[in-house]
Amino acid sequence: MTRALGRAGRLALLGIGGFVVLALGAAVGLWAQAWDVPVGRPYMSPGTGAWLGTDALGYDLFAQAVQGARVSLVAGVGGAAGTVAVGGALGAWAGLRGGWTDRLLSGATDAFAAVPSVVALLAMALALGPGVSTVVVAIAATQWTGVFRAARAEAQRLRAADYYRAAQAMGAGTLHQIGWHLVPALRPVLLSALVVLFAHAVKVEALLAYLGASAPELPSWGKLLARSGSELARGVWWPTLAASAPLALLVLCAQVLADRSGRRSE
Amino acid sequence: MSSPRPPIPWPAVLRRLVVAAASLALVATLVFATFEWLADPAALRLGRGASPEAREAMRAAMGLDRSVGTRLLEHVARAITFDFGPSQARGEPAGTLMLQALGPTLAYALPGWLLGTAAAVLGGLAAARRRGVDRALSGLSMAVISTSSVIVVVLAQHVLAHRLGWFPVLGWPLAGAGASPLVYVMLPALVWALLQWGPDVRHYRAVFERELAVPHLDGLRARGVPERRALRHALRAAVGPIVARVGQRLSHVVVGSVVIEELFNIPGLGALLVAAIHEADAALVQAIAVATAAVTLAGQALCDGVVWLVDPRVRRRDVA
Repeated sequence: MTRALGRAGRLALLGIGGFVVLALGAAVGLWAQAWDVPVGRPYMSPGTGAWLGTDALGYDLFAQAVQGARVSLVAGVGGAAGTVAVGGALGAWAGLRGGWTDRLLSGATDAFAAVPSVVALLAMALALGPGVSTVVVAIAATQWTGVFRAARAEAQRLRAADYYRAAQAMGAGTLHQIGWHLVPALRPVLLSALVVLFAHAVKVEALLAYLGASAPELPSWGKLLARSGSELARGVWWPTLAASAPLALLVLCAQVLADRSGRRSE
Repeated sequence: MSSPRPPIPWPAVLRRLVVAAASLALVATLVFATFEWLADPAALRLGRGASPEAREAMRAAMGLDRSVGTRLLEHVARAITFDFGPSQARGEPAGTLMLQALGPTLAYALPGWLLGTAAAVLGGLAAARRRGVDRALSGLSMAVISTSSVIVVVLAQHVLAHRLGWFPVLGWPLAGAGASPLVYVMLPALVWALLQWGPDVRHYRAVFERELAVPHLDGLRARGVPERRALRHALRAAVGPIVARVGQRLSHVVVGSVVIEELFNIPGLGALLVAAIHEADAALVQAIAVATAAVTLAGQALCDGVVWLVDPRVRRRDVA
C-alpha cells in the first residue's frame, strides 16, 4: 500500500507520523512540559537559553510549538472524522433512498452550503464558546456538504448497479447491504476526503485560534500567530517562525498525502 | 454562434425562484435553531457570571420569553423580507451596519477576485498545455495551499509593506491620510488574489486538461485545424466549469477575508463579523449569515443563467 504513494507520499506519511509522536510525547509528559511557566525574560532571541527563544511573557517557544501539535492534530483528526461521518452517512442515505428523501436532503444541503463557511464556523464558535471540542464540532457541522455530494453520487451509482439489485432481490438485510456493499463502495471516496479534510481542518483550527475561538488553556500555533503581526514589525521574528513552520509543514504533509492517495484511487 | 436568442424558460425560472425562497427560509431556520439549541442569546450578552434573575430580565427585554414558534416565524419572515432587525450590541439596524461594511470589503475583494480568477484561468490553461509550466505552477500552488492564510497575510504585510515599503501598512485610509484610496487597497487585493489563486489554479488546470483531451478536438486537429482554433473550442466548452467556480467564489468576495481585514484594519464585513463574535452579538451574526447566504443563492442563479446563455448543451437538456 505504501509503495503506491511514491517517495513524496511516504515522506509525507513519515512527517505526519513524526508530528503524532511529538504530540503524544507532549501529551503524556515526556517532553516540552515547561510551556506554561516563564523560563526567562520576554522576547529572548533563539539560542540564548531557550532553543527558539521566548514569547511576550517569557515562555519557552519551542515547548509551546511542540505542545501546539496536540491541539492541531486533535482538531484535524476529529474534525475530518466528524465531517466524513456526517457527510458520508447523510449522502449515502440520500443516494440509496432516492425519491423525496434525496430531493429534500439535497435541497437542505444546498441551502446549508449557501452560508459561507467562515460565517458558519464563527457562528458555531460563538454559540458553543471557545474550546477544542468547539473547533471539532464546528468543523464537522459546517464542512460536510462536499462529502455529502461525493457520497451521494457514489451511493446513486451503487443503487443502479446490478449486483446490488440482485442482493436486494435475494432479500439481503439492511446490515448486510451496508457492510457488504455500501461501505466498500464508499471507502475510496471517504478515505481520500478524510486526508483532504484533515489538512483543511488543521488550517481552520489555526484560523479559529487566531481569532480566539479555540482552546483558551492550551498552546496552539494559531494563538502564537495572533500577535505575530505586531511582533514582526518590532523585529521579533522567532514567535512567527515557531508557529508557522510546523503549521505549514503539517498541512504540506497532509496535502501531499492527499494528492498521492487520490492519484492511486483513480 | 449567431443563433437567434433562445426564449427564456419561464416555468424553470419560476421553480428556481421558489426553491431559492425555500432555501433562504431553511437557512434562517437553521441559524435560528443553532442559537436556540446551543446558546442562550441573553446569557451570551451578559457573560457567564450573570445571575439567573438578571438573565431572566434580559430575556424579557430581548423578547426571548415569547414562545419558540412565534420567534421562529418572526425570524424567518424577517429574513425573507431582508429586514434583519437591530444589532444587540450597537442598537443600529443590522442591515445598515452590513451595507456600511460592504463597501470597504468590496473595495479590495472585488479587484482581488478578478485578478486571482484571471491569473488562475491563464495559469491553469498554461499548466494543462506545457509540462514545465505545470511543474512550476503546481509547486507554487501547493505552497500557497499548504500555508495557512494567517501566515500568508502576516508575511505579505511584513515584507511588502513594513520592510520594502512598497505599500502602506494599513489597508484603509485613516482620516487625514493624504494618498489616494487606490494605493491602500492594492496590497490587500494582491494578497486576496494570491490566496484565491492557490486552489483555483489547480481546479482550472484539471478542467482544461479534461477539455483539451476530448476526442472531438483530436478530430479537429486531424483535419488540420490550427491549434489556436482548436483552443477556442476547448475554451468555450470550459466556460461552464469556470463560471461555476467563479460563482462559488462570489460568496467569499461578499464576506471578505477575516484575516486580511483584521491585519490591514479594514472596516469591512469580515471585521464586522469578528466584532460581532467578540461582542456576542447573536442578532448581528444571524443577520450576516442569512444575508450572505442570500447573496450566494443569487450568485448561483446568475451563474446558471450565464451558463445557460453560453452553453447550448445545457439549453437542450433544459437544465435551467
